[in-house]
Amino acid sequence: MKFLENIILKLGAVDRRVIFFLIGLAVLIPLLTPISLPVRETPTTVKFYDGIEDIPKNSKVLVSFDYGPSTRPEIHPMNVGVLRHMLRNGHQIYISCLWPDGIYMALDALEEITDEVNPDNVSTFDIKEYEDYILLGYRPGAEAVIKGLASDLRKVYTVDANGNFIDDIEMMDDIKNLNDFAYIYSGSAGYPGTFEWVKYGGDPTGVPMSSGTTSVQVNEVIPYVQTGQLIGLLAGMPGAAEYEKLINVPGIAIQGMAAQSFAHIVIVLFIVFGNLAFFIKQRRDRKY
Amino acid sequence: MSFSAILGAWIATFLTLGIFSYLYRDNPFYKIAENVFVGVSAAYVAAISFWTQIYPNLLGRLFPKDGPLAFTGLVFDFNHEFNILYLFPMLLGVMMLISVFQQFNWMARWGIAYTVAIAAGLKAFGYLNSNVLNQVSASSVDIFSGSLPFFSLGGDSVFNNIVLVVGTLSALMYFYFSKEQTGNFGRFTRLGIYFLMVSFGASFGFAVMGRISLLVGRFNDLIEYSSADYNYATLGVLVFIIVTLGFWSFQNPERKEN
Repeated sequence: MKFLENIILKLGAVDRRVIFFLIGLAVLIPLLTPISLPVRETPTTVKFYDGIEDIPKNSKVLVSFDYGPSTRPEIHPMNVGVLRHMLRNGHQIYISCLWPDGIYMALDALEEITDEVNPDNVSTFDIKEYEDYILLGYRPGAEAVIKGLASDLRKVYTVDANGNFIDDIEMMDDIKNLNDFAYIYSGSAGYPGTFEWVKYGGDPTGVPMSSGTTSVQVNEVIPYVQTGQLIGLLAGMPGAAEYEKLINVPGIAIQGMAAQSFAHIVIVLFIVFGNLAFFIKQRRDRKY
Repeated sequence: MSFSAILGAWIATFLTLGIFSYLYRDNPFYKIAENVFVGVSAAYVAAISFWTQIYPNLLGRLFPKDGPLAFTGLVFDFNHEFNILYLFPMLLGVMMLISVFQQFNWMARWGIAYTVAIAAGLKAFGYLNSNVLNQVSASSVDIFSGSLPFFSLGGDSVFNNIVLVVGTLSALMYFYFSKEQTGNFGRFTRLGIYFLMVSFGASFGFAVMGRISLLVGRFNDLIEYSSADYNYATLGVLVFIIVTLGFWSFQNPERKEN
């Protein structure tokens, strides 16, 4: 027993660099030798999927890219999936960005799903700018931008991301403000993002909206799902993996779930060892 | 593979591994990556904000073609009509910039005061409507609604309603400091602490999950860049950083830290 306790004490006092190394290995090995783990959909993801399915076909939808490269692994798979799902249902997509680098994330996502760029991929579309989608681009101002979109889109967007006048684009003819969209979606990594869209976009206009967020935000965003302010939620990389399964296009999120699970096991083990070591040490200190 | 794609992969790999090298200890690679990130981000935001917002939306409205200020020779044609109200934000913006001179630094206060007032007004409305009224309304549930099952893991149920109401009330009561938290009231507020602890635990779990997801993303890129298509960028940079760090540590033994 004492031998076991000594081992636990040693594990509890292990150098932090050893823990980093083990977590690195736990993530790297499943990525190098892919392991397939089952993915089960959670109710919030199913609600999200159903919410997009319920939009009348061939509607106009607003998709906001509110993230940058730092959170790309979590949000990007969701946004690519959402674009695929919406295009499959014939919607016209209007892309805005509250984050400066969101525009490049949007361009990357569009590239991934375009026939011309990826002719061998079965889940791509023959999409054309200004017919199937328009890239409105980034505007600084966070909640002020959303407030502006809710009242008069043209005061915020004079030109699109390519520098073309909004007034000259046929696809923008019927769009005056957020009320002209059938649905709002925000792929959000923080401020400005989901919270601001709910407060200044979805709630005041009553336009149905949903969001995909980083795992860190889930605890704060989930009450909006329970109140119906958001129609479902994609929660971090697991949410993206569940959504990829629902739309039947396995992607990078599903591939990452094995690495995610193994890393969690390592972390949980070290938390357990750390706690056991703490209690053993406390007991021994009391004894002597 | 184009030269720019390969060069981009090498730079991305260097910056990623430079940041990761902090796990060993603070070092020049980490400092380079950190400073490049801060500098590039600031410059990028400044440039894109000017060309997408100030240029078309501010200057375009103050100096349109055929506008009253066209005589100045400045014309920014974005199909806008002249709007004199836009002079006000431009003036406040200029006043904020002028504050870099010591004798004019009071000028920045006007712009800051305006921004703070607008932000406070906007946020007050948003919080009250979306975070208070809607949440209070959603928490007011019919606990023993006949149409609900007693227990359900995924959906609405009587049990979940009881947890919702008890959890909300006990957590709120924990922050009620006008009454000493003893006796039955103390036991109730203690229950509130447990609910809060569960919430903090969930937040921690989600935070860990998020960080691992980001690590998965970086590793995916590093694996991709380790291929012959990118001239083995990951391996090349990794060897370079390890050898240089080893040499640097050997040269600076007094800076070793745990």
